[in-house]
Amino acid sequence: MSMPLLSLITFLPLAAAVLLIFFPKDRKRLLYGFALGVTVAVFAASLILYFGFDSAAAGPQFVERTAWLGFGIQYHVGVDGISLFLVLLTTFLLPLVLLSSWSYIRERIKEYLIFMLLLETGILGVFLSLNLFLFYVFWEAALIPMYFLIGIWGGKRRVYATMKFVLFTMAGSLLMLAAIFTLSSLFFKATGTYSLNVFDQARMVLNPRLQTWLFLAFGLAFAIKVPMFPFHTWLPDAHVEAPTGASILLAAVLLKMGSYGFLRFAIPLFPDAVERFLPVLSVLCLIGIIYGGLMALIQKDIKSLVAYSSVSHMGLVMLAVFSLNVEGTLGAIYQMLNHGLSTGALFLAVGILYERAHTRLIRDFGGVSKQMPVFSAFFLIAVLSSAGLPGLNGFIGEITCLYGVFAANKVYAALAVTTLILGAAYLLWMFQRVMQGPVTNEKILSFPDMSWREIACFAPIVVLMFWMGIAPRAFTGKMDASVTAYVHRIKGRERVFVQKAVPSPVSFRLDAEERLPR
Amino acid sequence: MSAYAALVPLLIIVGGAIFILLLEAFWKPASKTPLAALALLAAAGCGAACARLWSRGASAFGGMLRLDDLALAFTVIFLVAVAFTILIALKYLPRQNADFGEFYGLLLLALSGLMVMVSSPNLIVVLLGLEILSVSSYALAGLKRDDDRATEAAIKYFLMGSFASAFLIFGLALLYGAARSLEMPAVAASFAGPSGDSLLGLAGLVLVIIGFGFKIALVPFHMWTPDVYQGAPTPVTAFFAVGPKAAGFAVLFKLVAPVGDQAFRSAKIQVVLGIVAGLTMLVASLTALRQKNIKRLLAYSGIANAGYLLVAVLSGDGVGLMFFLAVYLFMSFGAFGALIAMSRAGEEFHDLDDFAGIGAKYPWLGALFAVFLISLAGFPPLGGFLAKYYIFAAAVHKGLTPLVLIGLLASLISAYYYLRIVVFMYMREPVRNIELDLDVPAVYLVLFLCLYGVLQLGLFPGRILVFLKQALASLVL
Repeated sequence: MSMPLLSLITFLPLAAAVLLIFFPKDRKRLLYGFALGVTVAVFAASLILYFGFDSAAAGPQFVERTAWLGFGIQYHVGVDGISLFLVLLTTFLLPLVLLSSWSYIRERIKEYLIFMLLLETGILGVFLSLNLFLFYVFWEAALIPMYFLIGIWGGKRRVYATMKFVLFTMAGSLLMLAAIFTLSSLFFKATGTYSLNVFDQARMVLNPRLQTWLFLAFGLAFAIKVPMFPFHTWLPDAHVEAPTGASILLAAVLLKMGSYGFLRFAIPLFPDAVERFLPVLSVLCLIGIIYGGLMALIQKDIKSLVAYSSVSHMGLVMLAVFSLNVEGTLGAIYQMLNHGLSTGALFLAVGILYERAHTRLIRDFGGVSKQMPVFSAFFLIAVLSSAGLPGLNGFIGEITCLYGVFAANKVYAALAVTTLILGAAYLLWMFQRVMQGPVTNEKILSFPDMSWREIACFAPIVVLMFWMGIAPRAFTGKMDASVTAYVHRIKGRERVFVQKAVPSPVSFRLDAEERLPR
Repeated sequence: MSAYAALVPLLIIVGGAIFILLLEAFWKPASKTPLAALALLAAAGCGAACARLWSRGASAFGGMLRLDDLALAFTVIFLVAVAFTILIALKYLPRQNADFGEFYGLLLLALSGLMVMVSSPNLIVVLLGLEILSVSSYALAGLKRDDDRATEAAIKYFLMGSFASAFLIFGLALLYGAARSLEMPAVAASFAGPSGDSLLGLAGLVLVIIGFGFKIALVPFHMWTPDVYQGAPTPVTAFFAVGPKAAGFAVLFKLVAPVGDQAFRSAKIQVVLGIVAGLTMLVASLTALRQKNIKRLLAYSGIANAGYLLVAVLSGDGVGLMFFLAVYLFMSFGAFGALIAMSRAGEEFHDLDDFAGIGAKYPWLGALFAVFLISLAGFPPLGGFLAKYYIFAAAVHKGLTPLVLIGLLASLISAYYYLRIVVFMYMREPVRNIELDLDVPAVYLVLFLCLYGVLQLGLFPGRILVFLKQALASLVL
C-alpha cells in the first residue's frame, strides 16, 4: 500500500468543502473553478483505480484498513468489481453536475458547492466501505447534504419533499442500525471478538428466524432507498422539487446505494432469508416495473415522468439482483450504470428546458426541436438510451438483466419485458409531445439552442452511452471475477443451520483456507 | 495520602464561591467581569487539583468523601460545564438586566454540590450534595427577579424539588431499614443476598429512584422541566441541562447498575426502569414535536436524552453513559450558546419563527447551530451519533432490544423536530426583521470549543474512551 488512493478520493471533496468555507462568497468564477477543479482531480484519481484494477481478482483491491473506534469498528475500505464502476460513475458525474448548475443556481452558490462536495464524500464512502459501521456512517452522512440541497435550492414544496426524503430514509436506516447492533453482539458471543467487517460477518451462519428479522431490517433500509414499490412515494416528490444538479445525483447515484446495499450486505449476509423472501421481493419488483411505467405514462410534468421511469427501471435492476445468478447480477450492475447515465442525462435535459421555459409541464411544450436542433439530438439519444435501443448502453443492460431473470424464472422474465414496451411508450410519447409537432407556445420561439457549457455537460455522457453500448467488455470484464465469486458464495454455501438445541444461535462455516479473525 | 488532598478541589470551589459573594456584598464592583474571572480561576484551580489526584485517588472523613477516578472524571465534566456557563453568561447577564455578582458565587456553590454528589459512596452525603445543588439552583433559576416567568420557574422548581427531596429522604430511610447501611456497596449487597428482594428494600429503592427521577427529569416526573428551562436565564438553563443531569445519572448508575445486575432474576427494578426509559424517550420526543419555543423544545430534547441515558444505566454500560454525557455536554452547550447569541440588549429571540432566515443572514451562527442540532439528531459523523451507537449497541448486547427499538423510534421523531429548526434557519423567509447583537466573543469561543468537542468525540474518541474506561475501573461493583 504505497498511497491511500481510496481515502484520497473519498476525502478530497471533504477537504475542498472545508476550504471553500473560507472563500469569498460572491466570486462565482473562483468558487466554481475551485470546486470543478477538485471534482475533476477526484475523477482523474479514480481513473487510476480503473487502470490499476486487477480484473482477475475477485476480492477487494486498494484495501486500506486501520483500527478506529474499537468494538470491531474499523476504517476499512476497498473496491471490487461490484463497486468499482459505481465509484467511477459518481466521480464522473460530479463535475458535470457542477457544470450544469452554473446558471440554475443563482443564490448561495458557495453553500451549494460545499454541500455538493460533502455529498460526493458521503456517496463514495458508501460504495467503498467494507465495515458495517463505516458504511452506516457514510450512508447517513450522505443524507444531510441532500437534505440541504433539496431544502434550500428546491421548488415550491421543497420543505415537504426534503423532510419526507430524510424521514423515509432514516426510518429504514435506523432499523438497519438495530440489525447492525445485533450482528455485532452475535459475532462477539460466537467468537469472543468484535468484527463488523462484512466478510467476517458473511461467514456467520445465523438461524433462519434471526436471519429473517435481520434481513427485513436491512432490506427495508435498502428498499426505501432504491426505491422498491411500495416504498417509492418519496421519490417523485424529492425529484420534482430538487434542483437539477441534485436530481441528477439523486437518480444517478443515490438510488444505487440501495441496490448496492442489497448486493454488498443484505444478500451475502442473509442468503437463506433472501431465498425465502424471493417470491415476495420479485413480485414487488414486477409491480414496481409495471406500476412505475404506467404512472410515467400519465404524468404531466416531465420531471415526475422521469422519476416514475426510475421506479420502473430500478424495479428491473432489483429483479435482476434477485435472480441470484451471474448474468442477472452482472446485468443489474451494468443497468445501474446505464440508469445512472440515461436518467442523469434526462434530468439534465429537463433542466435545460426548465431554465428556458420555467415550466416542466409537457403541455407547455411542442416543436422545440425546430428551435433547438442540437439539444434535440442530445435529448433523443438520452431518451433512446433509457428506452433500451440497441447500440446504446441501455440495451446491453436490459438484455443481460432479462437474460438472468429468464434463467431464474420464466414468468417473471415475461412480465419484466413490459419495461421495454412501457419505457419506449412513455419516453417516446413524451419526446414527441415536447420536441416535435408544431410550435404551440410563442415563448419557445425565443429559446436559444444549447450553450457550449451545456454541450460540455451533455457530450461526455452521450459518448459514454455509445461506448457502453458498443464495447461492454471494457466494463463487464472488470466485474466478472467479483460477480462470479459473489454468486458462488451465495449459491455454494453449505446449509448448516444451527438447530434450536444448540444454545448459541450462531455457527461458523470455515472454508479450508479461511480463518476467523485472530 | 492525607485527608486534605481529597478536600482541596472542593475547598477551592467553596472558598471561591464565598469570596465572590463577599466581594459582591462589600466591594460591589460596577462590572462583574472580575468576579467571573475569579470564578473561572477557581474552576481552573479545581481542575488542576483534580489532575494531580488522577489515578491516585484520595479520601477523607473516614471514606465519606472519596475522590476516585470516576468522581474525578465527573468533576471534570462539571468543571467544563461551569466554565462554559460563565463564558456564555458574561454578556448575557448585563444585556438582560440580571447582572448580579451572586450569579458566579451561586454557580460555584452549585458546582460544589455536584462534586459532593459524585464523590461519596454514602447516600446521606449524596443527599447533602443534592441539597446544596438544589438550593443554589432555585436561586439561580429566579435570578431575573423582575421577570414573571423567572419567578414562576424558581417557585415551581423549588416546590417540585422539595417534593423530590422528600421522596428521596423517605426512600433512604426505608433503604437503611433494609440494608442497615447507606453505603452504596452495602445497599447493593443487601439486594444480592437470599432475602434480596425484601419489600422494604425495593420500596426504598423505588422511592429513591423517584426522587432522582424528578431531579433528572424522567417521565412521568418531568412536568416542571419545560417551564423552568424556559423561565430561567438561558446560561442557567444550559447549566441545568448538563450538570444536575450528569450528577443524577452518576448516582443512579452507581446505585442501580450493581443492584440491577444481581436483581436481574427478579427483574422488578429492571422492568420498572425499562418502562420509565421507554416512556421518557417517547413522550418527550412526541411532545417536542409541537413546541414553538426553542428553549422549551430543548427542554424536551433534554428529557428524551435522559431516556437514552437511562437505557445505558439499565444495560450497565458505564462507558457509554459517560461518553454520552461528555458528548451531550458539548452538544447542549453548543445549542444553548447559539440560543444566547440569538439576543440583543433587553431581548431574546427564542420562537421558532425568529429563526427563519437566520442561516442566510448570520451564516456562522446558523451553521454552528445546525451542526449541534444535527449532532443531537444523531447523524454521523458527529458525536451525538456515536454516543447513541455505543449505548444502543450495549443495550442490544444485554438483550434490551425492545427498548432499543423504542429509542431508535424516538431518534427518528427527534430528527424531525431538530431538523425543523434547520428548515426554519435555511429554508424559510424571515417573518420579521431581527437584528442580533453578535459582539459576543466569549459565546463564539464556547461555540467553537463545542464544535471541536462534537467532532473530536464523533471521529476520534480514542483517548477519551481510554480515560473513561480507567475512570470506571475505579468503581467497585
